[in-house]
Amino acid sequence: MSVEDEREVVIRVRELAKSFGSHQIWEALSLDVYRGEILAIVGGSGQGKSVLMRVITGLVAPDKGVVALFGQNADTLTPQARLDIEKRWGILFQDGALFSSLTVLQNIQVPMREHLDLPQAMMDDLAFLKLTMVGLPPEAAHKFPSELSGGMRKRAGLARALALDPEIVFLDEPTAGLDPIGASDFDHLIRKLQQTLGLTVYMVTHDLDTIFTVCDRVAVLADKKIVRTGSPSELQSQPDHPWIEEYFCGERARAASPAEQRRLIG
Amino acid sequence: MLKRDHQLVLPTEVRTPGFRVELRGTTFRLVATGAWTVAEAADLDKALKRLRVPIPPTPDFTGEMDIAGIAEIDTAGALLLQRTVSAWQKGGLRTRYAGATEDFRVLIQEVHRRGQAERPEIDTQGAVQDFVDSVKNALTGAWRDVVDLTAFLGEVTAGFLRLFKQPWRFRTTSFFHHLDYAGLRALPIISLICFLIGAVVMQQGVVQLKPFGAEPFAVNMVAILALREVGILLTAIMVAGRSGSAFTAEIGSMKMREEIDAMRTLGIDPMDTLVLPRVLALVVALPLLTFLGDIMALAGGGVMAFAVLGLDLSSYIDKLHEAVDFQHFMAGMIKAPFAAVIIGLVGCLEGLRVQGSAESLGTHVTSAVVKAIFLVIIVDAVFAMFLSGIGV
Repeated sequence: MSVEDEREVVIRVRELAKSFGSHQIWEALSLDVYRGEILAIVGGSGQGKSVLMRVITGLVAPDKGVVALFGQNADTLTPQARLDIEKRWGILFQDGALFSSLTVLQNIQVPMREHLDLPQAMMDDLAFLKLTMVGLPPEAAHKFPSELSGGMRKRAGLARALALDPEIVFLDEPTAGLDPIGASDFDHLIRKLQQTLGLTVYMVTHDLDTIFTVCDRVAVLADKKIVRTGSPSELQSQPDHPWIEEYFCGERARAASPAEQRRLIG
Repeated sequence: MLKRDHQLVLPTEVRTPGFRVELRGTTFRLVATGAWTVAEAADLDKALKRLRVPIPPTPDFTGEMDIAGIAEIDTAGALLLQRTVSAWQKGGLRTRYAGATEDFRVLIQEVHRRGQAERPEIDTQGAVQDFVDSVKNALTGAWRDVVDLTAFLGEVTAGFLRLFKQPWRFRTTSFFHHLDYAGLRALPIISLICFLIGAVVMQQGVVQLKPFGAEPFAVNMVAILALREVGILLTAIMVAGRSGSAFTAEIGSMKMREEIDAMRTLGIDPMDTLVLPRVLALVVALPLLTFLGDIMALAGGGVMAFAVLGLDLSSYIDKLHEAVDFQHFMAGMIKAPFAAVIIGLVGCLEGLRVQGSAESLGTHVTSAVVKAIFLVIIVDAVFAMFLSGIGV
């Protein structure tokens, strides 16, 4: 038995198939997400990276296949059990998906208000705590989403995803649209929060810097399935697939990889 | 949520979150057990609030948070601990943690660090100030509407006049698209509504005039009402709801997605491409729709006259000829282009005022319809006074 097999699997996806119209995006997709890891899903555009996240979170129904969340089959869940599972994850959508009519603080409190019966003072304390943990200035608390910059909206969305102290967070392109400094800050933030809060992180990303700095494991979507999983350095040293080779051994990847940076510094 | 290894925790303690306070030697100890998570936070919060802060009799007393019995902790639990520690320390008790695992320590430290952050206060103001502010905002808003609408009318007029000098600026495709959308496709609904209202007015007129034996005059009433007021007002209100709102939504969503800024930077004037085709299409479509509305209202009246008065078609038309003349028809029709300009201007202006958010789009669409209908009715009233003043 390998070491990986002993780790707890929090999300198990088996033999997933999905097509939109005549366009089939996956034939038989299987994937395991282990507790406590930072997993990146990469793949060319149109391979269904975001759709996979939406299938796992129940926003889109697959044509075939099984999704098991925390060991429970997602198809057979009662609505109550489904709700209990939804409390155990948080999702950061691409542009934050903050509710535009609520302030940042109120946005963070929405999940608490919906699922728990906390006193207002406690919710304020918790929301402020989450706000500062994601690195937003306290003044942002009473602003509306439209008054924030793109990077701040992402942080606020992350704070909302963390509102209930979830076990898993899903991040959809967390660094897309951020400048390199902001993106690098966000990478470190994800790593730090993952360590502090003991999170499992599932992220869809294109960002090679993110992959090399924070991700423990990468799953590659190509040819209508997950063709390979492995650590970023494994995939870079043994690509074994034309797309992986192009992605991990291309010009940008070499610049982003730790090996190359050591060479440059040395 | 951070979990302790299950072997180290007694199963009973995993279940129930809680704490007790005890004094051992010179140390006040808060012994916490169970799951200190957000799901349990409400109960823990209540219990901790009831807890009195221990007062040290001599300065060498210390406090200790014994969290060795905590099986699970998250930020909510850590926050509660942090709050208690701060309260104890404020009471003069030096307090430390005992029994934290490495993971727990990281989380608790983080929460302690973040918990100290300053918070901005929300500016709150009294009800009177709120009322004064809202009145002020309403008045300045109304004044700004007047100014903006006048300025916009000027811009549109200038743009229109420029078309005579530079006819190539006219967007033919766009104009006909809107003519189709605001005009042709509005035919069924406007026909139906005017027909029904014509019939209803005739029926009510007959019922009300019957006691005076004047029920044949219901035809006069319907004819004058339909031509002077009902046709134009119903049509304008329908068009404001149907096309005015569509103008605001279309232009507003383009504004939201920065399409209008893109146009400007490409040297395309939104006035030519967006505003003028819409306003001109309405100026052409609304009189035609009003004409149709007039006819349909008269037709509705005719059907009802046949039903309740037994008038056949030729005698109904004869009676119409006696009741109204071309002047009455024109008194209604003259208002149509004015209503069209108002609906078009308000719709486009509100669209251009949309800010970044979807909420703002919704507000502006609503206010476009409300303002357009309000202004159409005002103009109708002004015309009614003016026309009766000159004896038409």
